[in-house]
Amino acid sequence: MTSLMDHQARETVGYSFSESTASGVKQHGFYPYTDNGGSTLGITGSDFAILAGDTRSTSGYNINSRMVPKVFKIGGDDETGEGANIILSVVGFAADGTALKERLDTVVKMYKYQHGKPMTVSACAQRLSTILYQKRFFPYYVHAILAGLDEEGKGALYSYDPVGSYEREQCRAAGAAASLIMPFLDNQVNFKNQYIPGSGEGHALAAKKAEPLPLETVKGLVRDAFTSSVERHIEVGDNLQMVIITKDGIQEVYHPLKKD
Amino acid sequence: MDKIVAQYSRPSYQNVYTEQDQQELTESLPPLSLKFALPPVANVSYSNTNKVIHGLEAGCHELGVSGQSSGGPRSPSSQLWRPELPAERPSAFLRAMTDDHSNPSCPIKLAHGTTTLAFRFQGGIIVCTDSRATAGNWIASQTVKKVIPVSRLSRGEDKPTSEPTPGLLGTMAGGAADCQYWLRYLSQQCTLHEIRHKRRITVAAASKILANLTYSYKGYGLSMGTMLAGVTPQEGPALYYIDSDGTRLPGNLFCVGSGQTFAYGVLDANYRYDLTEQEALALGRRAILAAMHRDAYSGGFINLYHVKEEGWVHHGFDDMNPIFWKTKLESGEFSNVTSEL
Amino acid sequence: MDHFPGTWGRPRNDVYGAYDPSYLQSTGPKTHTTSPAVTGTSVIGVKFNGGVVLATDNLASYGSLARFTDTKRLRIFGNKAVVGFGGDVSDMQYIDRLLESIDIRENYSSHGNMLNAKNLHTYLAKVFYKRRSEFNPLWNHVLVAGFDGEGKPFLSSADLLGTTFSAPHLATGFGAHLAVPILRRLFPEEKPIEEISREEAVDALKQCLKVLFYRDARSLDKYSIAVITQEGIDLKEDEQLEGQSWAFAERIKGYGAQTV
Repeated sequence: MTSLMDHQARETVGYSFSESTASGVKQHGFYPYTDNGGSTLGITGSDFAILAGDTRSTSGYNINSRMVPKVFKIGGDDETGEGANIILSVVGFAADGTALKERLDTVVKMYKYQHGKPMTVSACAQRLSTILYQKRFFPYYVHAILAGLDEEGKGALYSYDPVGSYEREQCRAAGAAASLIMPFLDNQVNFKNQYIPGSGEGHALAAKKAEPLPLETVKGLVRDAFTSSVERHIEVGDNLQMVIITKDGIQEVYHPLKKD
Repeated sequence: MDKIVAQYSRPSYQNVYTEQDQQELTESLPPLSLKFALPPVANVSYSNTNKVIHGLEAGCHELGVSGQSSGGPRSPSSQLWRPELPAERPSAFLRAMTDDHSNPSCPIKLAHGTTTLAFRFQGGIIVCTDSRATAGNWIASQTVKKVIPVSRLSRGEDKPTSEPTPGLLGTMAGGAADCQYWLRYLSQQCTLHEIRHKRRITVAAASKILANLTYSYKGYGLSMGTMLAGVTPQEGPALYYIDSDGTRLPGNLFCVGSGQTFAYGVLDANYRYDLTEQEALALGRRAILAAMHRDAYSGGFINLYHVKEEGWVHHGFDDMNPIFWKTKLESGEFSNVTSEL
Repeated sequence: MDHFPGTWGRPRNDVYGAYDPSYLQSTGPKTHTTSPAVTGTSVIGVKFNGGVVLATDNLASYGSLARFTDTKRLRIFGNKAVVGFGGDVSDMQYIDRLLESIDIRENYSSHGNMLNAKNLHTYLAKVFYKRRSEFNPLWNHVLVAGFDGEGKPFLSSADLLGTTFSAPHLATGFGAHLAVPILRRLFPEEKPIEEISREEAVDALKQCLKVLFYRDARSLDKYSIAVITQEGIDLKEDEQLEGQSWAFAERIKGYGAQTV
């Protein structure tokens, strides 16, 4: 990383006098973060994983752009993403998100060249945790979600906090509308607070057991989650980007959302 | 003219990444040093420290230990011994960003883990935790695994086997990332110890690695309160408490986290060294249940482990809600809660 | 020991010192002394069929003083890209020197490829992100216009934090509030850029500059405008806003509810 970031190597203007005047005084009171809004969401099934995000980029009450994707293919071709087997979504401070994505992408590619095989999702998940923790004292201001298929071909989803604590889950929402989407997913994916009718009286009522959902159902849940968030959150809207990973590869689709 | 041409035209090999650059890009092990990206903070001591570092590098040049230009990548040996981080109060920035207690509207809310307990008894050690992670008032997760196996042999997820798995157990309270990362680091150190010395590390030694580590980071804002439990031939059942201030205490019984007081209440009232295995497991579960009930920052699932001579055994990751109602309705406890609507 | 559960595991004042919220302030005396001194206001840009137009006014303000009235804030890179600068003028000049040295280096290099606007934007975004990560930002918000690797019109933004985004029409600073709504009305986002002619695009920007001059107190009626097409760059640096009408000014009486 040093060479990429090296002040001397990359930013030398080519003058003979030294640059000491520029580096002496540092900006203080400069706030290095901003929130670019938006929301992301991931759900897994028995043989697939979905990551989705809206494509709005905001700063304050302004909409910067209506087409800034938040879900990226990791370890594939730079332009097309071909050859990737892992996907990553980042929401929060977009510049940190881009930096994080590029860092992970480089690591996954180098792994492939050095070991002659693609990185497994579980390995990549732990590596991402380490990358985030490396900046423990100046964190990446992002909530990341990583998805792919595990060694058994099951959908795998890992969610992260800004400094790298991570957990494998069935579903996770992150970003501005996380507090709107997550309770919905608890109920519809993990069947929280759903009970089997007639299985008992009062506290003996048996809880409905969560089981992996089919792809079409999950797609419907993702669309419902986002169309509903658009109604109640100003930072969510414009387009829904949905990236679906199955044994046949990665499929990416866009749906329009409300633009107000 | 030649000079100008030489200044602007460069042979292409200079643009290629060096071996060291590649290694830095792909380095997959946690660093053995304080090599973290820190926000640069301007103050007087900054330039002073800088001079000291430059002085050291000059010394290296003379000794020929590591030929490097100032400002370039540091050699592994100087990384390892890099004396201190260049700032007056480097944690102040981090704290301003992340301390949601002092400032509920701070921009980055970190996940915080909460009630954990462990105690020694005649049959080994019981380790029990809740599973809730909060970020401010938001429940970030209800399914956190706060017991982390610290051992080469059992790095994976919970296996369906009921056979004991050799190795130590660590618990996490405080910053979730701090605990996960440093227990992962500890795992690596324990494995290396095993390879070098051809025997498993003692709990005393493992806990000391962690305590030395947290002490070296004192003042940087780490937040962790962890317990290490294990049974080794040298020590028998051993239990240590380590926290981010650098404290390291051996003991028989610890509760850690925001729900610690509630767990201590139950545990102290019912604890005896000669509890049977079933009694001990039930007591651990009951103490966590009390904490989940009274502490808003604790909840979710009860995660229960038993460490014995042959290794640790997992005794379930169970939703607290049915257990709570069972406890109330069958043993008449929690009478402050009504079961009618 | 502090027995209040909420404070457990948090930085204690007696160990770490009192909580210092000054890092969070984006305004206030500390920031004031380190914020930019001589500044330029909005940059606006729009894509059209076969190219991009970029425009700025020629003013560099010193606080509320209109200090320099002939500042050229559009800079040409190579012969296919233009960078429009908003924000600190000294930082603009630094970046300009930087870009010049890169241009010279690229011209001397053996590979013979020229950096296109997309490459340039990526580079600038990384310079900005690096400097913000050092807490020593380059206080600018820039638009980069030109062509991407496939020869399609390219328009993208980068700011002092390293945030990047792209859209068919963009504006920085005050323009994000005043010019973007005009551009969005003239060229709705579903309208393909192939249907926008060069004349329409240039007229639209002139209209935006006029509105900005009416309402942005840090703007000027002298402006620069660059039209980037495959044939080359048509840069006019000493233009005068025409057809101003200040009739509306008569109706403005004070602020808000004040009518007299």
